[in-house]
Amino acid sequence: MDLSATGDILLSGILRGGLFVLIAMGLSLVFGVMNIPNFAHGEFYMLGAYFSYYAYAVFGLNPILAIMAAGAGGFVCGAIMERTAFRSLRVRQKTNWVMNSFLLTVGLSIVLQNSAQALVGTKFMGISQYWQGSVAIMGMNVSIDRLAGFGVAMATVLLFWIFLTKTKTGNSIRAVSEDESGAMLVGINLNRVYTLTFSIACMLAGIAGAALLSINPAYPTMGLAPLYKSWFIVILVGMGNVGGTIIGGFIVGMVEALSYYNLGAGWQDVISLLVIIIILLFKPSGLFGKDVKGVWER
Amino acid sequence: MMQTETNQNLLLSMKKKNILRELGFTPLGLGLLILVALVPLFIDNQYYLHLIVSSLMFGALAMGFDFTVGYINIVNFGYAAFMGVGGYVSALLATRLGISPWIGIFVAAAAAAVLGFLIGILTLRLRGMFAAIMAWFVGIVLMSLASNMVDLTRGQLGLNVPLLFTGSGKAPYIYTILAIVILTYIVLKRMISSKIGLAFNAIGQDLEAAETSGVNATKYKVLNFTVSCAFAGLIGGFYGHFVGILTPAVLHTRVTVEILALCYIGGRGSIWGGLLAAFLIIPIFEFLRPLMEIRLIIYGLLLVLVMIFYPGGLAQFLNQLAFYLKDLMPFKKQA
Repeated sequence: MDLSATGDILLSGILRGGLFVLIAMGLSLVFGVMNIPNFAHGEFYMLGAYFSYYAYAVFGLNPILAIMAAGAGGFVCGAIMERTAFRSLRVRQKTNWVMNSFLLTVGLSIVLQNSAQALVGTKFMGISQYWQGSVAIMGMNVSIDRLAGFGVAMATVLLFWIFLTKTKTGNSIRAVSEDESGAMLVGINLNRVYTLTFSIACMLAGIAGAALLSINPAYPTMGLAPLYKSWFIVILVGMGNVGGTIIGGFIVGMVEALSYYNLGAGWQDVISLLVIIIILLFKPSGLFGKDVKGVWER
Repeated sequence: MMQTETNQNLLLSMKKKNILRELGFTPLGLGLLILVALVPLFIDNQYYLHLIVSSLMFGALAMGFDFTVGYINIVNFGYAAFMGVGGYVSALLATRLGISPWIGIFVAAAAAAVLGFLIGILTLRLRGMFAAIMAWFVGIVLMSLASNMVDLTRGQLGLNVPLLFTGSGKAPYIYTILAIVILTYIVLKRMISSKIGLAFNAIGQDLEAAETSGVNATKYKVLNFTVSCAFAGLIGGFYGHFVGILTPAVLHTRVTVEILALCYIGGRGSIWGGLLAAFLIIPIFEFLRPLMEIRLIIYGLLLVLVMIFYPGGLAQFLNQLAFYLKDLMPFKKQA
């Protein structure tokens, strides 16, 4: 492997990884705070792609505004979903919450996917690019679009991180993820935190879908691949570890770029999974996982 | 003389009933199965017969799925992949080595069981959700392999599979899959009503408590997983030889989700609920085909509503109904 190939792999791994981080973060957040293993997370990615398509290609908004619109759309849809489905389940069922909420998200995923298909049909809705042109980095041409997508992802992750660690609301989310009853004792409104958490997670997925629109056109079943990739990451770093997803996202991105370069398209899932399975054999709780035993019981 | 004869008859009929009970059949359930077996004698419409085969097939899959989710409380999210593995194994044996499908489907069951066993050993030491996700990942890998190993599986082009019976009639398929359904049901039900089933239930309800009282949880979980995967492989083998073509789409998560929905709408932890749900939902959806997406939205909503409001599903509903009907009976036994 010569130097330019290494650069090639490194760059494409980083660009891939950045967006994986953005998607996986929402998944990890929802699991960490609400203990929901979300199977419908990919559907919010899909919704984001559609929102940005309509905002950019149909209503002619500026790309940044289109991506923000997709984020806002994801936020609202997430809030509706949480208020209607998950709150009803939470009120009714206390035992076996992890498994039941997982199955609930499976149902939601079917509903969202097929609603999209019923409303807009099965044709690919893509755009050629948000921004024109390309730049040369380390001897290879990278379209500005991909760089901008990466930039959007990183900026969102940064903003979200600041929100989580520096603001009072962000701190209350973290408090709930650490100790639910403790958080309730100090006067945190759990229902409000849950709704906010779920909406933010959906917003992050929506932004990712919008940022990748020029590479992956909007399509009703487009959510599955990003869903299981973000699950790779979340399992790899340990479930519910939001900070760890940043590193995990780049690892998975890099593994994929490597396998893509060496074996061609189609094998990346096999390779990244083998890597993950091997890691988990030695460290079952994930790379940075703590003992999350308690969570599984609920 | 007369008296003793009637008594003996009574005794004999009671004994018969007990054998049926022991195999897990209620008179009503047995009657319905016989009804299904009689259908090909009266209906000649191949399309309807095809629907019946599909319902039985998905019903059997839902039963195997329920065996894991309803008892040890682990969602085998790669279930369709185990079925697909069975399908491919049997198909490849038939096309490459010329082995009869009748042997092939049992080899398929064994292959799926071995795979399930290995994955079970790897993942089932971990907590339920984790095992579910890992099974899902394995399913994704198997699907990737099926579409990438073009030399072996012909990938997306689809593998042509020799049919189980010559001729276009569907009736022999109905009897074959009916036999598989009955075998599945009896084996699963027998296991559940034995001591093993008690251990499964204990593990499913409270893992910690079960382990504390000396149940080797991992052993039973792996056993359960292996049996459930074996049936997926068996039915998958049948599927290939029934449809005549296999594509990697058989292993897709979508298929698992469909089986899962049948199992939950039917009622988890009942085994027969999934079969009943398959018989209600698959034909109804087939007739709603013009509505396409709408019917799948209804499907998803049904799953969501059952999850939130009625977790017992169809099985619980019918059990409660039977309970009330018994209560209304005029000649109730006095306690």
